[in-house]
Amino acid sequence: MGAIIVSGLVSGSIYALIASGLSLVWGALGVFNFSHGVLLMAGAFVAWWISDPSGLGFGLLTGVIGSVLFMAVAGAVVYRILVRPWLGNSNAELTVIMTTIAGAMFAENLALYIFGGRLKVLDQAITGTVTLLGTTIQAQNLLVIILSPILLGSLAIFLKRSKYGLAIRAIAQNREVAQMMGIRIEAMYVTTFAVSAILAGIAGVMFAGLFSLGPSMGTDPLLRAFLVVVLGGLGSLPGTILAAYLIGLIEALSSYYIGIYWTPVALFSVLIFILLIRPTGLMGREV
Amino acid sequence: MSKKITKIAVLGSIGVAALAAPQIFTSGVTQNLAILALLFAVVASNWDLTLGYAGIFNFAHVAFFGIGAYTSAIVTIHLGVPIWLDLVCAVAVVAVLSAITAFLALRLRGIYVALVTFAFVQLCVALIISQKSITGGAVGLVGVPDLQIAGYAFGVDYQAYFYTAEALLIASTIFLRWLVTSNFGLSLIALRDNESYARSRGIPATRQRVLAMVLSSIFPALAGGVYAHYLIVASPDIFSFSLTTLILSMTLLGGTATIYGPIIGALFLTIMIEALAGLGVVRFMIVAVLIILTLRFLSGGIWSLGESVRDIIASLKNKQRSNTK
Repeated sequence: MGAIIVSGLVSGSIYALIASGLSLVWGALGVFNFSHGVLLMAGAFVAWWISDPSGLGFGLLTGVIGSVLFMAVAGAVVYRILVRPWLGNSNAELTVIMTTIAGAMFAENLALYIFGGRLKVLDQAITGTVTLLGTTIQAQNLLVIILSPILLGSLAIFLKRSKYGLAIRAIAQNREVAQMMGIRIEAMYVTTFAVSAILAGIAGVMFAGLFSLGPSMGTDPLLRAFLVVVLGGLGSLPGTILAAYLIGLIEALSSYYIGIYWTPVALFSVLIFILLIRPTGLMGREV
Repeated sequence: MSKKITKIAVLGSIGVAALAAPQIFTSGVTQNLAILALLFAVVASNWDLTLGYAGIFNFAHVAFFGIGAYTSAIVTIHLGVPIWLDLVCAVAVVAVLSAITAFLALRLRGIYVALVTFAFVQLCVALIISQKSITGGAVGLVGVPDLQIAGYAFGVDYQAYFYTAEALLIASTIFLRWLVTSNFGLSLIALRDNESYARSRGIPATRQRVLAMVLSSIFPALAGGVYAHYLIVASPDIFSFSLTTLILSMTLLGGTATIYGPIIGALFLTIMIEALAGLGVVRFMIVAVLIILTLRFLSGGIWSLGESVRDIIASLKNKQRSNTK
């Protein structure tokens, strides 16, 4: 049982990081970023390229810092090229799905072109094993379980207390008035995308440390993140985080008891059931 | 009068091309590409009914295509259902599934519909890979029997598959054009453009939308069945994100809410991807850039390009006419 809970917490932590980025962008801009999965992939690849001896060979710490910086820029670029031109159009919500899918297609093939299709391995931040809840796990797993809530907690405090957080909530509530109060909407949107991309990048680094990295590594986590945001309700950070850990745990439980092949079926059954009762998710609001 | 003549000329040339093409493209590679392009055009144009006319952004049509293929494969291989009848099974299964999916998904709004239908496609993949004894798992279900009429096997030189794919596309296009110009089609457009007004004029929103999903699932299911017979295999690759993106690209590049646009898009993309085969993965980067540029600068797609050319010609003609007067 301990092993199941630990594995559920690990995947839940990673899903929470990915999904909260999606939810953040939705809450502020009302668009959904389908290229979020390739942002995760990009974060992992940049960290690998900087740190690995067959790349630049600067070590993992430099790699992670480099990856975070790169992701901030990547988030801004995604916003400028794939989102900004369509914002304010009546069907921006749907058009941005298509542009970000095209962006994902571009980035995935670019990674395939530069790095090739062979799976790569990223160094782990800490090696060795720890015993937790009666099971022995890799220390990297523990790091993920601890680091993720810290990051999400700081994000929550940032959104609640900082001037930026106040501004972003003001924009979400009433764009015109916020603008009249001197909030620079454009800068806020860029920041939102940068923060969201950094979260995806960190999730990518964690994911790559636990498994491996390849050009299409972002697809599966993105899909889980879809489930998470639908279940938790888009735009609600607490709902998203709750749903992420819930999905992680359900996944771990069902892989253990009913087998890995039936897990997606179990997840979708839960999803359909919840949507039948609450069409806007666990803690979502009307859209 | 001249409009009628143009119409007859266009229809006539399409008919001649449809009859001639299978006789001309007989080499393996071009023939294969043409058949696939035609089948994908069926999926793309039916997708357009929900995407373009009804404004329901969904990912379900790839799943309809794939489920059609798998139903054909499963009922012929495991249940011994005779060929042709399996296509009827494919349509029936897909129609029921699309009604259920649509009914569940359309309780939700906007973005949630896209997410849930996207998840539905992935659920199909997960189920197919898990039920190895029925579906053949990740390898796919091999051994779908060849189509034949009175002892004439379609797989002899594949020309019959070419004609079948053409017939399917033509029938589907006539059906879709009839739908979108009917009262039903108009009600979909009304719901898309102004839902509250349309509702207040007595259009049942959910019923029309579910109906749009079900009606647009019929021909993709048939195309899926033919696809399985043609390739002898139904494989989970059909549901892959890359094929979803490709068919969606056909719809978008061609131009939504036109029906004809996605067909042009399917032919255009298939030819382009094959012509750029030497570039490897770079060609998909080019396709991605093309989609973004199209959405940015030509929101009506390739089809609208043709329409604007027609408008220019028409205005030139008018000028000539006023000059001669």
